[in-house]
Amino acid sequence: MHKTLKSTFVVFLGSLVAASCATNAPQDTWQPKGPNAKLIDDLQQPVFAVAGIIGLIVAAAVTYTVIKYRDRGQPIPEQTHGKPALEITLTVIPALILAVVAVFTFGAIFKLAKTDDTEMIINVTGQQWWWEYDYPVQNEFGITSPIISSGQLVMPVGTKVLLRETSRDVIHSYWIPALNGKRDAVPGRVQTLRLEADEPGIYAGQCTEFCGLSHANMRMEAVALSKEDFAKWVANQQAPYVAPAKDSLAQQGETVFLNQCVRCHQVNGLMRADGTPAIAAPDENVWSGAAPNLSHLMSRNTFAGAAFDLLSKKCRDEVWGAPSNMVGAKYLAGVTEDCLNQKDLRAWLRNAPEMKPMYANPADLEISNGKYRGMPYLALSEDDINKLVAYLLTLK
Amino acid sequence: MFSTGFKYFFGVTVLSVVALVMSVALFKNLALIGVAITFLIAAGALLTGLAIITSDGTTRDANVQTSDMTTQSLWPLVTGIGTVFLALGLVTSSIVFFGGVVVLLAALSEWMIQAWSERASSDASHNAEARKRLLNPIEFPVLAALGLGVVIFAFSRIMLTVDKSTGAVLFIVVGTLVLVAGTLFAIKPNMKRSVGAAICALGAIGIIAGGVASAVSGEREELVLAAEEGHFTHKECGPEESKYFDKLKEETLSLRSAVSATIIYQDGELIANIQGLNKPQKSITVPRSNATNIIFRNATEGEFRLVVDLGKPKTEDKDSHHDVDCTQLIETGGEQSLTLNIPKSSSADNSYKLFIAGAEDKQIEVVVP
Repeated sequence: MHKTLKSTFVVFLGSLVAASCATNAPQDTWQPKGPNAKLIDDLQQPVFAVAGIIGLIVAAAVTYTVIKYRDRGQPIPEQTHGKPALEITLTVIPALILAVVAVFTFGAIFKLAKTDDTEMIINVTGQQWWWEYDYPVQNEFGITSPIISSGQLVMPVGTKVLLRETSRDVIHSYWIPALNGKRDAVPGRVQTLRLEADEPGIYAGQCTEFCGLSHANMRMEAVALSKEDFAKWVANQQAPYVAPAKDSLAQQGETVFLNQCVRCHQVNGLMRADGTPAIAAPDENVWSGAAPNLSHLMSRNTFAGAAFDLLSKKCRDEVWGAPSNMVGAKYLAGVTEDCLNQKDLRAWLRNAPEMKPMYANPADLEISNGKYRGMPYLALSEDDINKLVAYLLTLK
Repeated sequence: MFSTGFKYFFGVTVLSVVALVMSVALFKNLALIGVAITFLIAAGALLTGLAIITSDGTTRDANVQTSDMTTQSLWPLVTGIGTVFLALGLVTSSIVFFGGVVVLLAALSEWMIQAWSERASSDASHNAEARKRLLNPIEFPVLAALGLGVVIFAFSRIMLTVDKSTGAVLFIVVGTLVLVAGTLFAIKPNMKRSVGAAICALGAIGIIAGGVASAVSGEREELVLAAEEGHFTHKECGPEESKYFDKLKEETLSLRSAVSATIIYQDGELIANIQGLNKPQKSITVPRSNATNIIFRNATEGEFRLVVDLGKPKTEDKDSHHDVDCTQLIETGGEQSLTLNIPKSSSADNSYKLFIAGAEDKQIEVVVP
């Protein structure tokens, strides 16, 4: 073999091996953190082993044959036809292997499709390019009025959670590898996905059905909290709106929010100057008819479809790197002024389409009847951005 | 040295590259155009390579003299007609434009293949055979589909024109004639092809002529009246039977799985079954601005209708009636789907509910977070 070719092959193989040893791989499918993902893992490990062994045998046989019987100008060897015993054997062996795999696969599929043992349901709605979560009333978990959130799915550990997925626009696919396999979110249909986490932690995911321009930025995180911490989270989400202090920068930010942001974004409990509730009208401004509800925004760690962190890198590392028993406390602390990722949040408010590709060019909106897909450029002044950041920080 | 196919595809590839360069220079957003032209370049390059390797797929000896005699061709005329439609479509409607594109593409393809086949060899019959082998597998299904489409469309015009009882008789007569003709062809396999073709042609011409006459005459009066008054779109959601809306009730569903909730009227109570929740619910949650399907099942004796109260219309005054949507009246054991799409979130003064028409106290709250 040519020396350069050999070196290239060795470098390629080395890179492949090195890549498989990555420690920071939050979406590793081989590290299950819940019973549903373990069920898949228990199936994929032996199947992968068997398939790997067969693959190696086939590759070795092909390589041997190619080298041993390469064309040296010799006559074509005798062609073998009509060996029923050999043909039947070579048909039966793969059929048996596939039959055994099928038995275990079907068993796993049926177990993963069960819904009658559900303890909690969460409605999940996908749209270009973020996920919305709403928690219907479930008194046993203290949810006495619906909770709505986005980006991060918060769930109690050791609880059989059933996601009821749908989509507002195109087909998306929900996947938290550490907790279960994928399930497509299809417009007009409600499809279910079981999730259960063994211990508190934050588990990363990614939309896995190509869904348009910012598909790669459509991320999500599942936050599993202990039952006590989950109860605290629920209580916080149901807490009434607290208006910013009078004459503060945040109060000025509230006014900017009412003038600019309420066109699409809802903050539950926010009132207009005339005392009427400020109800967002995304149906009049956004193609899909919905935009993330920003109530208690700073209780989440991400924004813009979980594409960006609300926490600075240092604070984020503290939450993600916290031991299992500390994750809840760290997460429930929310985003403080010291921990806020000011850079990304300000850049987002300054010009969102520059941060995340979206169909938000006013010149290209003819096909969407003048409506945006994603957050447009709002031409906010730096002064307005300062006020808005101060206001958003109050949405704990 | 260079075959005709090579020159053609090479030209397409070069033009595509020019188009891509111009697109980069002229357009800011290249998302779709760029992908399309890149694929065109790739396809053109591939076909150029294939044309070189296969020498246009010709197997004839280059030294053998080929026929210079060409047959008469309709395709220049059809190409001209297609071009006219294309130009007309640019200033009239997109349907005419795309019709022109289809005619133009079909005529150019036929023309190219014909021109190629006539020069394939010096044997005219061999050339004709080569053309048939290439085009008949495409021509026959397309023409058959077009022919059947015209006949079916014409028959539908007839059925919309004649009154309902005549329509039923006509359907039976036409069906019987088709059956008789089919039986005749089956039991007389040696029948002349021309006779069979004549029977089919006569039948088709008869139906097409009837369709044209019916289209000129217009739809029967009750359909015209219904369209004018919007009988089929205006839902009457009261407890009483609606003359038009409840006509031809559909009480069986193909959509059974993947619905948001099943609403059941049972023992005088309205309950919601939601997958994942083991107990019947008195409220359902639906996402804002999203088409959400629910099923209504009537398990109570009598006919009932499920109504959804969608709140007050945005532009109306405070005393206005609420917007509603509903199912048809459903008999005992029947079921029907209803699609909810609510753009505004619910609040204290903006609530939504499902209820049974005539029994407004039987309610399910619809929460839009």
